[in-house]
Amino acid sequence: MAVLFLGPALLFVGALVIYPTLDTVGQSFRSEAGAFVGVDNYKAVAETERIKTAIKNNFIWVATAPAIITALGLMFAILTERVRYSTAIKIIVFMPMAISFLATGVIWRVMYEPSPELGFINAATGLVYNTFNGPGAYPDAKVLPDVPLEQAKPGAPIVTTEEFTAGESALIGLTAVAEDDVPADSVQAAAPQAPADGLGVVVWRDFKPGGGVPGELEQGEIGLPGADVEVLSATGEVVASGTTGSDGSVTFSGLGEGPFKAQVAESTFAQGFAGVDWLGPNLVTPAIIGAFSWMWAGFAVVVIGAGLAALPRDVLEAARVDGANEWQTFRHVTLPLLAPVLGVVFVTMVINVLKIFDIVLVTAPGASQDEANVIALEMFKTTFSSRQYGVGSAVAVLLFILVIPVMFINIRRFRREN
Amino acid sequence: MDERRGTQLRRYLVMLVVLMMLAVACSTGEVPAPQQEADEAEAEGGGSIEVAAVFTGEEKKSFQAVLDAFSEASGHEASFTSAGDDMAAFLGNKIEGGSPPDVALIAQPGLVRSLADDGSVIEANEEVSAALAENFAPVWAELGSVDGTLYGVYFKVSNKSTWWYNIEVFEQAGVEPPADWDEMLQTAKTVNASGVPWVSMGGADGWTLTDWFENIYIRTAGPEMYDQLANHEIPWTDDSVIEALETFAELVGDEANLAGGREGALQTDFTTSVNQVFTKDPAAATVYEGDFVPGVITEEAGAKAGTDFDFFDFPAIDGSEPAVVGGGDAAVALTDNEAAQDFLAYLATPEAAQVWAERGGFTSANQNLDTGVYPDEITQRSGEAIATAEAIRFDLSDLQPPEFGGTTGRGLWLRFQDFLKNPDDAEGIAAALEKDAAKAFKKQS
Amino acid sequence: MAAAAERLPGEGSRSRLGRVGRALGRGPLHLFLLLMALFWLTPTFGLLITSFRSSAASAESGWWTVFTEPRQLTLEPYKEVLANESLVQALFNTLYITVPASLLVVLIAALAAYAFAWIDFKGREPLFLLIVALLIVPLQMALLPVSRLFGNLGIFGTIPAAVFFHIAFGLPFAIFLLRNFFIGIPTELLEAARIDGASELGIFTRIVLPLGMPAIASLLIFQFLWTWNDLLVALTFTASDAIPITVAIQQELRTFGANLDIIAPAAFLSMIVPLIVFFAFQRYFVQGLLAGSVK
Repeated sequence: MAVLFLGPALLFVGALVIYPTLDTVGQSFRSEAGAFVGVDNYKAVAETERIKTAIKNNFIWVATAPAIITALGLMFAILTERVRYSTAIKIIVFMPMAISFLATGVIWRVMYEPSPELGFINAATGLVYNTFNGPGAYPDAKVLPDVPLEQAKPGAPIVTTEEFTAGESALIGLTAVAEDDVPADSVQAAAPQAPADGLGVVVWRDFKPGGGVPGELEQGEIGLPGADVEVLSATGEVVASGTTGSDGSVTFSGLGEGPFKAQVAESTFAQGFAGVDWLGPNLVTPAIIGAFSWMWAGFAVVVIGAGLAALPRDVLEAARVDGANEWQTFRHVTLPLLAPVLGVVFVTMVINVLKIFDIVLVTAPGASQDEANVIALEMFKTTFSSRQYGVGSAVAVLLFILVIPVMFINIRRFRREN
Repeated sequence: MDERRGTQLRRYLVMLVVLMMLAVACSTGEVPAPQQEADEAEAEGGGSIEVAAVFTGEEKKSFQAVLDAFSEASGHEASFTSAGDDMAAFLGNKIEGGSPPDVALIAQPGLVRSLADDGSVIEANEEVSAALAENFAPVWAELGSVDGTLYGVYFKVSNKSTWWYNIEVFEQAGVEPPADWDEMLQTAKTVNASGVPWVSMGGADGWTLTDWFENIYIRTAGPEMYDQLANHEIPWTDDSVIEALETFAELVGDEANLAGGREGALQTDFTTSVNQVFTKDPAAATVYEGDFVPGVITEEAGAKAGTDFDFFDFPAIDGSEPAVVGGGDAAVALTDNEAAQDFLAYLATPEAAQVWAERGGFTSANQNLDTGVYPDEITQRSGEAIATAEAIRFDLSDLQPPEFGGTTGRGLWLRFQDFLKNPDDAEGIAAALEKDAAKAFKKQS
Repeated sequence: MAAAAERLPGEGSRSRLGRVGRALGRGPLHLFLLLMALFWLTPTFGLLITSFRSSAASAESGWWTVFTEPRQLTLEPYKEVLANESLVQALFNTLYITVPASLLVVLIAALAAYAFAWIDFKGREPLFLLIVALLIVPLQMALLPVSRLFGNLGIFGTIPAAVFFHIAFGLPFAIFLLRNFFIGIPTELLEAARIDGASELGIFTRIVLPLGMPAIASLLIFQFLWTWNDLLVALTFTASDAIPITVAIQQELRTFGANLDIIAPAAFLSMIVPLIVFFAFQRYFVQGLLAGSVK
């Protein structure tokens, strides 16, 4: 009788889960041709750079994602408990659970676009960054070699090497300023008439088609308006400052005899926010972990929320009556009572994260896919891309071994419950 | 309360089951359709083939047009199947499941070799080799062969010795396309001073850097040395390699030449490296890569050939002869199917090339293709260069064992990225390359 | 539909507006939760907007620019996708894979779970422990051997291949969940039926199945979403005109930016059904999740 009921299930599980699992274990000790090779395939796993990256990344995943998701879930569950619209918040946070890893990957690739013009995350970051640190008028400007100007490092002020006395004009010719970056009101550059007790400065684009002569203010070279110019005393102190006009000139009066130096201030060369390459080789794994946490936080919220709702009210009340404040109640009563639920969420996430595949394949662009590599993905690639069946199987077995502890936890828990 | 919930649940479930039944009913009605079509085709005396390629978007549409033209000409049914972005994984998986596509277009000769080694590709028949001999320079038949046996037809090829520039930036800087390497370095200085860095490099993708090296090497060392290096008959520590690296360093050694400096170049992928040259506010004046660059430009940045961008040939170095580095997709048969062979033979004809050539984004090495059919003067020039070139060599990195020549984070790709980080260390890079190459070649033999 | 999904939470809070107003004293908490909710909605909303823009527009500016320039919005991408036979076919394939896979898992698992719960047979305990152990076997362990097996059976690359694999790997969880539920059915009910002379099959269909409906519903929804959203299984076992929408979209990713006007609407279309199922049957989904958060 039991066979009738169990038959179909055993057939499927036997043929498509148990048999292949044993076969893969067998294959992991054999070569592609079928010869027994001992642990050679496992040695290859330990030695191959890509696989090492995959294992390292899986550890990063396990070390961060479950903790982040459990913490997010706990936070949302506790906070929403205090408001009347908790269901709405929970639904919003939970919704990504219904979406595929593929769609999540697509969604976050759009979010993570490296250009602040295209990617929302970078646009938002840039908005904050530029509020404090906006780009200068000519962020890319440089000096040509062999002109009497110096710049300690890119982005530093550009200072004249010569000194000037009252009534003279300083010439500061900048290069590497694209024509498109010069304001439209800019006109032919001209050295200003310096006041007798002061200094004239002209900042101009020391370039005309073909190049022109470096350091020489020529016909066809335009002024750079909006540059912040400072006059330095002999001791290097800033004694005056101003901004250039449409022909690139600015004058300072009432300075005394001099000698002076002139410089274009650092603020003119400040770089604006250029965007973070979230899915580039350095940040790709944290970025995908972020997307994954977005997707799974809802799971934690729901499970922890249910656990929270099931807590014995009287114990919490008792704590409050005893004069414990909210934090103490949370720390000494709620948290210990919730521990088993948090454990379930955490362990579930660990298993999920160990087997992580789709979201990495989809979210990591081709160029950084190897830096984002994880074990499950490497198994697929080694097996089907490189057609190293033995090594691929060994990678699969490695993955299996990593989840075995969880398997024992499950069995023990099941036995205890029965 | 419970009662209400129960009814609600039952209603949902009934709905769901009805929906599912509907779906199943639909499915049984629709699934056999393709089979039916195939049967019909068979009845007319034609076969039916499935062709796999990595093309998406416009390329897919154009290739579909080629398939349609083939169907019309031969009476066979031909359908397209996308291989995603990893042809090797796609084929590996399908071969293991016992149902590979009938024909696949493969860009890596190394993959063709490994498929040939385990008997997964089918030898091309007489008809195919005759069509190749009639229409192509002998080099293409050699490239399509493994150990003297012909498998592949190079249908879509690329000229990888084209250097693309933004016309407006050149005009603003008052410069002309340079004719040789030294002139190029001079032009670079002028363009840098105009406010736009000279060149954009997609260093995040290692293959763009290998293409740079190959073009320099074939000019500094000559085609014969190039062949020897490709076959690893001379080591990577050879003086000729050092010389080529040092030449390369003349360009990348000066950070001002590169958009974003060396660090920026290493973080730029190929697509970005192209598009940042041809947008409204260009990050660089030029980008070097193959003649597939316009395909990337027109799709994303919207610049027009001839008025917004153009190319010049990779400049000669110290009076070197004109040379072209090329690459391509080889069509190979994976099943013993008459129609598959007919398809390969068809791909070798000028008619097949013309179908895609007219649509743009395509270069053919077919010598009998009238280059007038290319949609613009630019494609025409690069197409002519590859069809008539005397010194033409296949992309060297594609000829290497894949783990040395075509894998992210390893071998050539990795070492040239290291070189870009530290261009002064030509000797160290060469030594590292030789170590990697020796390992890869040992494994292969 | 997707737009309705975006709106739903808002409606919930509107009906409670009065009380929210009274609770304004806890401003920072509300502000924080509001910001978090916005943050959680933004990515999906961004894709929704993107799916109504041309890829040229998406390469030029961010999706949020539609607030100032709504003229960028166009139905063209959806028209293109719906006119694309292979993508439409792929959407249907998803349905053809998901429906039988979900129904059969539930049916086969219910039978087995009944046996584990209520039929005494030798080796019941160890066999069930085996099922518990199989709960977490990574499906990577089976990809290669099953590819070969399906190849030999001649079904590799077809819809049934994906269906069978989904059934097999869905079963341990399904059996575990249902058995734990079935075992809670009062013994007296079954005893009474047995005394009345009902067969095991009769008891199964007339008592256990109806009483087990809540668990079965949860499982069905769970399995439905799981299968619908799968990429790896389909990527491995289906080919050409049997591929589901996830694989079809994945194939377009090679040139992400250029194909965004296909990828975004297709991804959104693929999300509609799971979102409907999710919102319609949310309670059962949550129940299933709570019962089986061990997989």
